[in-house]
Amino acid sequence: MMFAARVALRYLTANRGQTALLIGGVALSVIVFIFITALIRGLAIFLTTQTTGQIAHIELEPPLRMARLLSADDRFAARPVSTFQRQQIRNWQQTVALLEGLPHVVAVVPEIVGNGFLVRGTAVAPVALQGVAPAQIDAILGISQYIVDGSSDLSSGGIVIGADLAAALGLRAGSPVLLRSDRGVERLIPVTGVFRAGLSSLDRRVAYLSLVTARPLANLPDGISQISVKLDDPAKAPDIAASLSATIPLKIAAWQEKNRNLQQALGGQGTTGNFIQVFAMVAIMISVGSALLLSAARRRAEIGIMRSFGISRGFVASVFLFQGLIIGFAASLIGAGLGYRLCLFLSSIKAADGDPLLPIVPSEGGYLLVITLTTIGSAIAAILPARAAARVDPVEAIQQ
Amino acid sequence: MSLLVAQNLTKIFTNGDEQTQVLKGIDLTLAPGEMVALLGPSGSGKSTLLNILGLLMRPSGGRLSLLGESVNDRTETALSQTRNRHLGFVFQFHHLLPDFTALENVAFPAAAPNGGISPTIRARAAMLLDRVGLSERRDYLATRLSGGQKQRVAIGRALMNRPDLVLADEPTGNLDRENSARVMTLLREINREDRTTFLLSTHDPQIADACDRQIHVVDGRVI
Repeated sequence: MMFAARVALRYLTANRGQTALLIGGVALSVIVFIFITALIRGLAIFLTTQTTGQIAHIELEPPLRMARLLSADDRFAARPVSTFQRQQIRNWQQTVALLEGLPHVVAVVPEIVGNGFLVRGTAVAPVALQGVAPAQIDAILGISQYIVDGSSDLSSGGIVIGADLAAALGLRAGSPVLLRSDRGVERLIPVTGVFRAGLSSLDRRVAYLSLVTARPLANLPDGISQISVKLDDPAKAPDIAASLSATIPLKIAAWQEKNRNLQQALGGQGTTGNFIQVFAMVAIMISVGSALLLSAARRRAEIGIMRSFGISRGFVASVFLFQGLIIGFAASLIGAGLGYRLCLFLSSIKAADGDPLLPIVPSEGGYLLVITLTTIGSAIAAILPARAAARVDPVEAIQQ
Repeated sequence: MSLLVAQNLTKIFTNGDEQTQVLKGIDLTLAPGEMVALLGPSGSGKSTLLNILGLLMRPSGGRLSLLGESVNDRTETALSQTRNRHLGFVFQFHHLLPDFTALENVAFPAAAPNGGISPTIRARAAMLLDRVGLSERRDYLATRLSGGQKQRVAIGRALMNRPDLVLADEPTGNLDRENSARVMTLLREINREDRTTFLLSTHDPQIADACDRQIHVVDGRVI
């Protein structure tokens, strides 16, 4: 076999220009493969990090209250279990303690959430209230880094609001504002800080306040609305959520469940990438296969001579298979090196706002995969030329 | 024991509905150490006979035995192995492998089945090149050799595996008179010293006269 490999190498080095062109063509397909892989995976990482960096990875909420049928003599067909008592998690301290002891959990944040209105003079704006312990305001979103006015300190009983909301009501740090909750409770509260997270749904709607401030507004003297959990690895959220569901009688959802659009977009993107990768592989196999078929035709007389002095069909076939392997391996190494450098270069180009122009991650180019696929693909592409070469009739070939 | 025995060999080529019988019942025997000339006009069936005797082509009928064993029913792989171990070929157009050196060309028939050019194979190839007078050209690529040198390398290659029979199809047909004489002297020398059997197809009466025996083929028959 080693002699067949030596013969294959000799054939390839005998036509350096043609071999260089072939390897260059295959390497180009490898570069495309790497670029697309690094871009699509980079984009997925970027979007996932952006999303998971700003949201809870697992949310635990009270179970949904289902309307139930009443007896036949009632006036209504159905009614809620309770129209007065708010949905809440009681004895939440035990659940929080349990969650804090789990692996991969980096933060457990009990929250009181609700809706209300901020009123200033005649201006009224709807607001989503987010009640958290002052020490945990940064546990999920890290809101302190986005503060543009005042501070994120909730311990004095104030609220921290989004910049767009503040602008709509003409508020800034230190301004008092009337907060009217959806439970009909009103409080005059000072604005402690204003943030701009860059996400309009946050900047326009959300107001942070402490749990202590939120309790009377939400009419929850003891309980909380939900528990948000942050993990060290967002990808583990579905598994952890599933195992929690078996032990904790709450409605538990991983972030993927609440961001199905993102998942679908990433899935669609991944599929597109897979198609491009498959096309790159097909292009590689066609290049290698056609070049080796031509080589087999050109070397027909030589093959005939080899066969005449008793060289086996297997040896002749393995010479061509080795050529495919050598081309594939060499081209994939060259392509991987150049592809990595291209990705490094592209990732260093910055847009006007200072962010990378392309969300490309050079380390995510799938190098081992492309080297393996290209080498194997090239060897497979060499099977047809190898069979054609092995079938050469020595008498016909010599007469030519 | 005869080296090679052919009995009533026939060969029919079919092209669509048309059938052409090239060999019409050939009988011949080669003894070990003989040097035999195969003569006949173009189209007489010499080359076809040489291809069949060299196990490159199967006959349509008749029996063929080599070293006392029938080869008619051997598989393609077995025929290939027999060619490699017992037969050598010299063609009119040398047919060297152009991307290999003179030494590699000579060593090839032994190197391929043995996984490479071992020191033993290298030494024998070098000895054969020395014998054909090309020891100084051993590392030259085949393309850098002259016509006569190429044919001498081809002779070295045919002898690499110590064949019992060398089949040569017009070995001097493409050479000038000087090189032709040199090649013929070399073949005769090898035949006498190593007792290697040669069957030479030729049109040249001088070469035929230099052989021990002549076989004339006319219209597919030995006369």
